[in-house]
Amino acid sequence: MSLLAVREVSKRFGGVNALAGVTFTVEPGQVFGIIGPNGAGKTTLLNCISGLTRPDAGDIRWEEASITGMKPYRIARLGIGRTFQIVRPFPSMTVRENTAMGALFGRTNGRLQPAAALAEADEVLDLVGLGEKRHHTVLRLTVPDRKRLEVARALAMRPRLLLLDEVMAGLNHVEVEQALEMVRRVREGGVTIVLIEHVMSVIVGVCTHALVLNFGRTLVEGPPAEVLKDPRVIEAYLGERYARRQQPPPHPAPKSEANEEG
Amino acid sequence: MIAREERVPRSLRRFAVPLGIILLAIAILVPLTSTDAAQQAGLPLLADKLWFRIATTVAMFVVMASAWNIIGGLTGYASFGNVAFFGLGAYTVGVLVSNRGWPFPLALIVAPLTATLFALIVGIPLLRLRGHYFAVATLGVGVAVGEVVNNLEPLGASTGLFLPIVRSDLLFFYLMLGAAALAVLSTWFILRTRFGYGLLAIRENEEAATVIGVNTTLYKVAAFCIAAALTGLAGGIFAQWNSFINQENVFAISDNVQMILMAVVGGAGTVLGPVAGAIALELIIQTLAGGGSAAVYAQIGLGVLLAVCVIFIPRGVIDFFGGQSRLSLRYLRQTLRETSA
Amino acid sequence: MSQFIQQVILGLLLGGVYVAVALGFSLVWGILNIVNLAHGALVIVGAYITWALFTRWHIDPFLSLPVDALALFVIGYGLQRGVINRIIRAPLLFTFLLTFGINLIIVSLLLLIFTADFRSVTPSYSGNGLHLGNVTIPYIRLGGLAVALLLAGALWAILNRSRIGAAILAVGADRDAAQLVGVDLRHMYALTFGIGAAFAGVAGGIISTFQSITPTAGNPYTLQAFAVVILGGLGRVSATVAGGLAFGLIEILAQSAPGLESGYANAIAFVVLVIVLVVRPRGLLGRLA
Repeated sequence: MSLLAVREVSKRFGGVNALAGVTFTVEPGQVFGIIGPNGAGKTTLLNCISGLTRPDAGDIRWEEASITGMKPYRIARLGIGRTFQIVRPFPSMTVRENTAMGALFGRTNGRLQPAAALAEADEVLDLVGLGEKRHHTVLRLTVPDRKRLEVARALAMRPRLLLLDEVMAGLNHVEVEQALEMVRRVREGGVTIVLIEHVMSVIVGVCTHALVLNFGRTLVEGPPAEVLKDPRVIEAYLGERYARRQQPPPHPAPKSEANEEG
Repeated sequence: MIAREERVPRSLRRFAVPLGIILLAIAILVPLTSTDAAQQAGLPLLADKLWFRIATTVAMFVVMASAWNIIGGLTGYASFGNVAFFGLGAYTVGVLVSNRGWPFPLALIVAPLTATLFALIVGIPLLRLRGHYFAVATLGVGVAVGEVVNNLEPLGASTGLFLPIVRSDLLFFYLMLGAAALAVLSTWFILRTRFGYGLLAIRENEEAATVIGVNTTLYKVAAFCIAAALTGLAGGIFAQWNSFINQENVFAISDNVQMILMAVVGGAGTVLGPVAGAIALELIIQTLAGGGSAAVYAQIGLGVLLAVCVIFIPRGVIDFFGGQSRLSLRYLRQTLRETSA
Repeated sequence: MSQFIQQVILGLLLGGVYVAVALGFSLVWGILNIVNLAHGALVIVGAYITWALFTRWHIDPFLSLPVDALALFVIGYGLQRGVINRIIRAPLLFTFLLTFGINLIIVSLLLLIFTADFRSVTPSYSGNGLHLGNVTIPYIRLGGLAVALLLAGALWAILNRSRIGAAILAVGADRDAAQLVGVDLRHMYALTFGIGAAFAGVAGGIISTFQSITPTAGNPYTLQAFAVVILGGLGRVSATVAGGLAFGLIEILAQSAPGLESGYANAIAFVVLVIVLVVRPRGLLGRLA
């Protein structure tokens, strides 16, 4: 049984097709990478899954049951946690309090009392490497730490699926390595992950499956290594001319395949 | 917020002291049932009618500022329509006592219910709005409800409603004091619960709150209703205390602005900030009103007070008392630099 | 039928007044992100200036409109430069409280200067009107509508055809970027608020020709201006015109309903406001947020 199934999801903003019939399935245990250039519709897709945006058409299913149009807080309590690309901490609270909020409200079963939620937060903060900064105010955190905090707050919900929106963006080489390590640890804890990234190289190290989104459509889907080599992907990212020069294809790229996914 | 439990001694001091004072005050005051009794007990201050009038008014604003704080300070929704709850509470008591002949205590129980029901009805659509839109839409609620009441014959229209006079300064002082204690304790209690954290999360970042599982609509409406109940209660007490109500004295937008200013100056989002703000500002306003013979000067005074408070202390007096920064020229200058063009 | 046409015409004429009132309010809100709760008070200051000039020197109310504009521009510029500029970057609650305080002060000062007596401006032609069959159009109201449309045209021209307008729009779009390209922010804020106040003053002059004025008469106009801007949509002169005319029509038609004859102007404004905010938050002609 698939964990999350997205079927033909579309969303228009004004005259722009942010999503034009995206379809994919996430299996339990996967680290599912979704990559694509800026404006490909990645964040809109995540917003649709987490309920912040209602799709115009299509269906999103969680363990076979439709969650399309459900309120975000109910989706959260089903066990779907998410982070925001532009971090959204609760600014007047400490790191520990921020994290505890996830445990306090996002649990699928059983309500925690504030004290228990704080204890839970400590555990999660150690996992993401913020343990020593638990009493800091958010404003004192560096950018990578703020991204970690986003992940910590979502993890405190004990989600079964974690949606990560560009947690690596804006990080330097070392910080990206640390973030990848964190993602691996989370996965080992039994959490399925959907990871959205702008930077392709990130995908290879950690993802078990990859999907490339372009202009609101699926461009290519498959094992990360193969997806990255695909000329259509390189073309989407760097333009047609660059793709030809880099990888002179023995024969023209099969256009029919490209369309079949979208 | 949550981590208060690590600073137990401090937080204990914070809440135990004022609570103790309130309880002590009630213990001393409750045996007194009239100003004559106060005089015999050798408490000249309590025998002074003007003092009671002022103290009761201060307590009334403590209720209103604390109630506003629950929706405006904790939840971050700056309501300019809370005065509608006050007016509805007042008119509930007014109509039930004056037109229907109900006993005052029974009518007073209904007052918060009317206000809450109204908050529920208008809260569901209005709490979807944010920022300017929410503020002005709620401002419209206050103005519009006052106008409707002013036009309805059964409610006395523009003449207003007269209630049978109950002569007991102490009774109304205790009632308002009780309502004030209820408002403060409610805030204190809310801040200790899951519900309270949910409200804070909504204030700090509503989208983040909703994706971690906070039922934001329910929480916002609940906070609005609690604020309405408390404010309606104060309105109900006011109606019988003043024995005369009309649009001008129970639906005054300036009262709404006053309660906001009190909460904000004292420190919005804290338990005791609104109390401090209400006491300080109401005493200033009373002094201004007492000084000039005309109410006009009090209005000008309130206007100037608004401007001065807002320009110089946007972060609230509690900042100073909370020890986060000292009241100094440097602080004022820095505040100005941060907020001015 | 002619009854209905008369209502529609009255609605449009009233709408003209709302256009005049809302133009300045909309400018200040759109550019400075300030919902000016003292707007109605500024309107009434304009009305009192027209009244004073008319009573003392018998100056025709329409001729005194430039004086209203100039006086209110000075007041508005000073208020923004001296007071509101100090908290322009504070949370919006503070600008709300501050402008409410300014409103209180202005109203109280008017009360001290002019007392609470009703004042009215009655030029010789105030009873006359254009008769078209059974329909009557008072000249004064027609003049008011014409001035309102002129104001809208003037605002459009200022914003879209002048250097100052370009700077104002730049400030509205992105304060920091505007500063980087050499716009003097404090001056531009004050200028914008001054223009908004000048428009309010002219609106007040118009209002004095058909309504008795008191120091508190301006208060409903603040809420109505807000309703007009919401109804039309923020950020365009044409939207304010559409919103104002539509709002005038709604009010007149609502008041012809039994039981709502008079005294419900604020309640109607509020109901319109809430319906629009809930059903179509960007207004009739507003741009996507």
